[in-house]
Amino acid sequence: MLREIAFHGLYMPTVTLMFLFAAGLAWGLDRFIASVDGYRFFWHPALLRLCLFLCLFGAMTLTVYR
Amino acid sequence: MNALALPLRWLASLEWRRGFLEWARTDGVTWVYIFKVLTAAFVTLWLAMRLELPQPRTAMITVFIVMQPQSGHVFAKSFYRVLGTLAGSAMMVALIAIFPQNTELFLPSLALWVGLCSAGAMRYRTFRAYGFVLAGYTAAMIGLPVLDQPQEAFMAAVWRVLEIGLGIFVSTLVSAAILPQSASAAMRNALYQRFGVFAGVVVEGLRGDSQRDRLESSNVRFIAEAVGLESLRSVTTFEDPHMRRRSGRLMRMNSEFMAITTRYNALHQLLERLRSRGPLQIVSAIEPGLRTLAELLDPYVGRALVDADALRLTLELAAYKEGLPAQVRALRSAYEDTAPSESDLLDFHTAYELLYRFVDDMHNYAETHASLAAHNHEREQWDEPYVAQTSWVVSAAAGVRAAAVLLLLGSYWLLSDWPSGGMMTLIATVTVGLSAASPNPKRMSFQMACGTLFGAFVGFFETFFVFPWIDGFPLLCLVLAPVLVLGAFLASRPTYAGYGLGLLVFFAIGSVPNNLTVYNPYTYINDYIGMVIGMLVCAAAGAIILPPNSRWLWSRLEQDLREQVLFAISGRLRGLGSGFESRTRDLLHQAYGLAVGQPLVQSRLLRWMFVVLEVGHAIIELRKEQAILPVHPSYAESQPWRQAIRVMGRALARLFLQPSASNHERALVAVEHAISRVQATDEPFARHFDTSALRRVQSYLHFIRTSLLDPRSPLAELGPLQGPPHAS
Repeated sequence: MLREIAFHGLYMPTVTLMFLFAAGLAWGLDRFIASVDGYRFFWHPALLRLCLFLCLFGAMTLTVYR
Repeated sequence: MNALALPLRWLASLEWRRGFLEWARTDGVTWVYIFKVLTAAFVTLWLAMRLELPQPRTAMITVFIVMQPQSGHVFAKSFYRVLGTLAGSAMMVALIAIFPQNTELFLPSLALWVGLCSAGAMRYRTFRAYGFVLAGYTAAMIGLPVLDQPQEAFMAAVWRVLEIGLGIFVSTLVSAAILPQSASAAMRNALYQRFGVFAGVVVEGLRGDSQRDRLESSNVRFIAEAVGLESLRSVTTFEDPHMRRRSGRLMRMNSEFMAITTRYNALHQLLERLRSRGPLQIVSAIEPGLRTLAELLDPYVGRALVDADALRLTLELAAYKEGLPAQVRALRSAYEDTAPSESDLLDFHTAYELLYRFVDDMHNYAETHASLAAHNHEREQWDEPYVAQTSWVVSAAAGVRAAAVLLLLGSYWLLSDWPSGGMMTLIATVTVGLSAASPNPKRMSFQMACGTLFGAFVGFFETFFVFPWIDGFPLLCLVLAPVLVLGAFLASRPTYAGYGLGLLVFFAIGSVPNNLTVYNPYTYINDYIGMVIGMLVCAAAGAIILPPNSRWLWSRLEQDLREQVLFAISGRLRGLGSGFESRTRDLLHQAYGLAVGQPLVQSRLLRWMFVVLEVGHAIIELRKEQAILPVHPSYAESQPWRQAIRVMGRALARLFLQPSASNHERALVAVEHAISRVQATDEPFARHFDTSALRRVQSYLHFIRTSLLDPRSPLAELGPLQGPPHAS
């Protein structure tokens, strides 16, 4: 995949876009887990949310920088 | 010996462990917080240096400003900080683009913008205020340093947003993931304790041994908690998915709790009057019903109301409510045997009407509390939000103060060409923003100035005597840490928060090395002199320009408080109860905070609030009662009793807008007239308070009358009631 994307003549790292995309995805997933009360199974929900985001973002960036 | 030593050692370890747990609960929390601040600050600094951002110190300052002991607050503050920064940067770029060469136009428009933002911060006093503060001073922070080179404004704005974004990212991460202190735990704790305290007050009052000043202080406490819980609730929705699902119910609980405290105050006021005035028969006639309620509530006194307790309370209250009408009928027939007068009978009915409503409200509250156990519940649907009420005068005062400071210092800078004038103006803007939402901006600014002065000395020593000797990031952290620990410690103590904030933020502004370190003692000293002068000017402005803790403001807020009765009379009926309760409390809370140190003013405000709440609540009940009347000729709009109530509404509005002896007299006459009209009307239902609308209406009217006659209310100070009515 390309490492930079031209956005109206502005070069932008693909990772930035992926960051935003992963944040949106993690937010949606978080809402879903919250709606079924899934967080009660976890010891540290905040850490889980953070790791979820990191996994999503990491998996996406792997496609760029591998 | 062994048999003896073992328990001893166990005891010793127990002692130690207990001491440690005690420490961990109190000071330990503070040290964890300090540790988190340090971690976040150094991670941010390292990342900012590694990423070669031009001003790593800005990112670090963001950490200091955003970090709070509880992670929910950090999220809320960060969220609004991002919004504020974006708005401020956009505004600045626009201003620079419009007035690139015109400082005469640029400075006033910047002052206008900062003034507007400060006014907004005062208007929304929760974390939303923070967004406004930021929007104001970010604009100044970006714009003032690049005023000479307008072409750099855009890049400065971009860098600033990136630096602040980095600081926010790291601090939310650290605060959420490392030893989190959740705001929702604090909230749950406050919520659960609150009912225990309230039950204690109620049981005391029902048994007839409550003290006036104790009741007042617990009421002040409930009001502060109602305002505080609302802001906590808005914070926890950021933090905890568990609480977000319950957000509507929490809002509902808060509103219902305000309703029960008002109801209880009304009941208490009536009972006090009956007890002090007699006759004894009526007190002994009412007492049995009160005693059973006091017994019911007794087990909950001083205990945290957990979900299981709430369920039990719901069932008990439901049973009590069911049995109440029969109990009242029995008591009344016994009471009627003593041949009471008409007005005593009215007192009896009013007392039981209020008691019934009180139990009903408490039942609702307990039901909502019990519903918190479920993840989904139909009680979540609640469309009567908490409404904050800020007097526009107060927020306008904050805006004028900020704009004046910026204008004054900015003009001085431009006229005198002092190289550090930019720094002075900038810091003054920041200080005015940070202290805008505090109840005493003068003290806050002064504390910050002291903190800055101390930071300047320490910073000078570090920059010019320590930094040249050290090499590498770990050593930098090591020499910065002592100052930051002290600052974070001070900032975590509410009375010294200003010193801590000043030390942290302004030490970092001047002394944390940028990516291009500049070694220039003259500029350094000049800048710090500018900073301290800027802050002292802010403190002076807080004391001189429309100071918020002074007489004109209290009387203004008192007027606003009274105007809430007008709101109860003429506001839209939907959500009126909750809106009225929260607005009145919000106003009082504000005024009470501003009048701190003036017990006379505070008690006067409190007594006004009691009258306003009692009368306003009764008016709302009357309006609700009239809105759901069945269709029948005796309930028609044109009936004399309904007209009399409308006349009474107008008389009450006049009384609360312009309290005077003659208006008081007129309002009383109007209420008595309405009572006699209601009494003279026939209706098709038996005259029990659960079936007859007119009986309930009569009770509320009677209650308004007793409130107006209450010898302790500020209305009683207006003058003797027997004076001849004259045209005003």
